[in-house]
Amino acid sequence: MVEGTSTHEVREPAVAKLLVDLVMDPRDPGYEAAALRRGDAPSNRWWDAPAVALGCLVVGFTLAVAYAHTNRSAPEAAKVHAALVNRVRSAEKDGTSLAKSAQSLSNKLNAVRNAALSDSSVLARSLGTAQLEAGAVAVKGPGLTVTLKDPAAATSVAPNGSRANSINADHVITDRDVRSVVNELWADGAEAIAVNGIRLTPTSAIRFAGDAVLVDFQPISSPYTIDALGNADNLATGFAESDVASRYATLQSAKNIGFSFDEHSKLSLPASPTVALRYAHVRTEPPSNHSSGAHK
Amino acid sequence: MIAAFALIAGVVTGLIFRPTVPNWLEPYLPIAVVAALDAVFGGLRARLDGVFDAKVFVISFVSNVLVAALIVYLGDKLGVGSQLSTAVVVVLGIRIFGNAAAIRRHVFRA
Repeated sequence: MVEGTSTHEVREPAVAKLLVDLVMDPRDPGYEAAALRRGDAPSNRWWDAPAVALGCLVVGFTLAVAYAHTNRSAPEAAKVHAALVNRVRSAEKDGTSLAKSAQSLSNKLNAVRNAALSDSSVLARSLGTAQLEAGAVAVKGPGLTVTLKDPAAATSVAPNGSRANSINADHVITDRDVRSVVNELWADGAEAIAVNGIRLTPTSAIRFAGDAVLVDFQPISSPYTIDALGNADNLATGFAESDVASRYATLQSAKNIGFSFDEHSKLSLPASPTVALRYAHVRTEPPSNHSSGAHK
Repeated sequence: MIAAFALIAGVVTGLIFRPTVPNWLEPYLPIAVVAALDAVFGGLRARLDGVFDAKVFVISFVSNVLVAALIVYLGDKLGVGSQLSTAVVVVLGIRIFGNAAAIRRHVFRA
């Protein structure tokens, strides 16, 4: 204990002296030493002025480079961001055009197949039903349109230009709401349903990620329009009497969400571009001339 | 006087050419800036004290930059680069403040 304090007392002044020197006398001791060596005589070396000039030049250059570097990195980050946004946009555009060409090709395929199969055959009819149920063909007919909308005030742009980022305030309607309406419509006898123009198939998923509702991994935003094809009167009656409809009617008056449903005599739904086999493979050599089926 | 002109000329050159700082040099930029500021203030104070010496000025600037860069380089290799760079900035920053105080005493006699 005594020893400890004694070594402490010895060491502390040295450390303190270092700090005190640093704070109290920060001048480079080299200047003193040089002045002592030189004495009172003024310096008369020929390279004094050029050396100082060169040193100052380097100092100023360093400062300017640091300034330029710091101020340049910010716009560069913005440039990188813009480039990424551009790439995303062009990829999206490519995806859309590819989906469109896939759509037109499958339309052509359907037309050719329909021409090949006689219209009245059992095979043609069962294929048509299967395609309809799978959402593989575009369909039209009478039906019901249900619209869900986030409260108008909540989705408005905040004064500082950024949207409020609270789920409670901003995104009242989630995947669960869209899903319950869709399920109710299926239960009421809908034959085909599309959400915001995305056709639902037996494998479609309506999910929620971040702030967006995803239908088959495609983000959609308010207002959510759910088109259901079927007997319009039955759909409208069944839906109007359902718990789902009464819940959203209540929410409409309580929470100010947008909720409405209308019968339409003519609705047309696109085909789903995402009908794809994941595990089954189509046989390349047809075993018999009418089989286009899949096997495991 | 020459020093002031050279300083301004250096700044202008840097702003005109805007050289790209290579990536490996980037960690040393703050060190170089603080060392440069330290050299400027130290030289100015020595000048006011009447003990300015061109050789000391140039050599102290160059050696400060080199030693600081060496410390940070070693720190980078040993995983304490940012801490050591903070240490260098703190030490040189204290010196800058002390020199600035001395200059202030010279100029304003306060």
